[in-house]
Amino acid sequence: MRIFYQTYGKAKKKFSNFLNRFFKKKRTRIGIYGPPNAGKTTLANRIARDWTGDAVGPVSEIPHETRRARKKEDIIISGANGSTIMIDIVDTPGVTTKIDYHEFLEFGMEKDEAIIRAREATEGVAEAMHWLREDIDGVIYMLDATLDPFLQVNIMMIGIIESRKLPVIIVANKIDLTEAAPARIRSAFPQHPVVAISGLEGRNVESLYETMLECFG
Amino acid sequence: MGMPHKCTKCGREYKAGSTEILKGCASCGGKKFLYVKETEINKDVLEEKSISEIADESHEDILEIIEPRKKEQVEMYDRVETIRIVSPGTYELNLEKMAQSDQRIVSVGKEGTYIIDLMSMAKDQPKKKKKVKK
Repeated sequence: MRIFYQTYGKAKKKFSNFLNRFFKKKRTRIGIYGPPNAGKTTLANRIARDWTGDAVGPVSEIPHETRRARKKEDIIISGANGSTIMIDIVDTPGVTTKIDYHEFLEFGMEKDEAIIRAREATEGVAEAMHWLREDIDGVIYMLDATLDPFLQVNIMMIGIIESRKLPVIIVANKIDLTEAAPARIRSAFPQHPVVAISGLEGRNVESLYETMLECFG
Repeated sequence: MGMPHKCTKCGREYKAGSTEILKGCASCGGKKFLYVKETEINKDVLEEKSISEIADESHEDILEIIEPRKKEQVEMYDRVETIRIVSPGTYELNLEKMAQSDQRIVSVGKEGTYIIDLMSMAKDQPKKKKKVKK
């Protein structure tokens, strides 16, 4: 009898896996990309908190805090008109063309620790670029609105995302700071929707959610 | 002001009043000099001579013409490697290459090496998954 239940249990599990494979809704995987310290993890945490109650990962002012892509699955976002999307949010390491451990020493880090951080950050960028190639269905490209948007890496990344024909929303973050100039980002990338927010304070995130429904829905 | 001189043997030019005109050309020891007009000074080195002009001047029976090879400029983003290890802890990342390449870098080693996932290179070009609209 026990054997029967074990077999029955196994069969049930197999059957539900089988059903899941056919009826599970395809996830839309949204990658949050951008240079280091743009506020990608803060936004990922905000989205996750707003819609699921959990956080994605720790935030710090030292660049390359996120060195592995982190994922939060099955986030359901609903809009004012009742439409919903189910997404996975992928928080990626900050993409740069140069990673030098010396920049971490300024934050009081030991040399050995800084070298390890640089190495992990490099691996993280390679991983993030790999995700972009295979697993991402849409991109939120984050920029620090207090900085010049015409950085080489930004132009290059937008080019790569465009060549992959992925839908992209550009987020001008940190509008809580007085130096923020989201208009500069708008004029830099007129071909894409630009939403100015403060991920930290949550200012204008509703408008980002509406834009996400439009672009990724 | 006198006029500049030019050695008739090798073509080296000298400013007006140079002592070489009396002693002989510093390059070839030639003793004969011509006057050169100020406007024509350095003309032979500034202007490119045609192959037939060079052939006439050389008095050789056979001249071998070597085509100048174009120096290929290697742009930073045409470089082969996706990650350049400047020194341990300092890396230059070639993002475009990373986005194009089939290679998947799994880890950057301690000794300035990096490990590539061979299986990902063997895979076919990934198909972009279609989005399901609700």
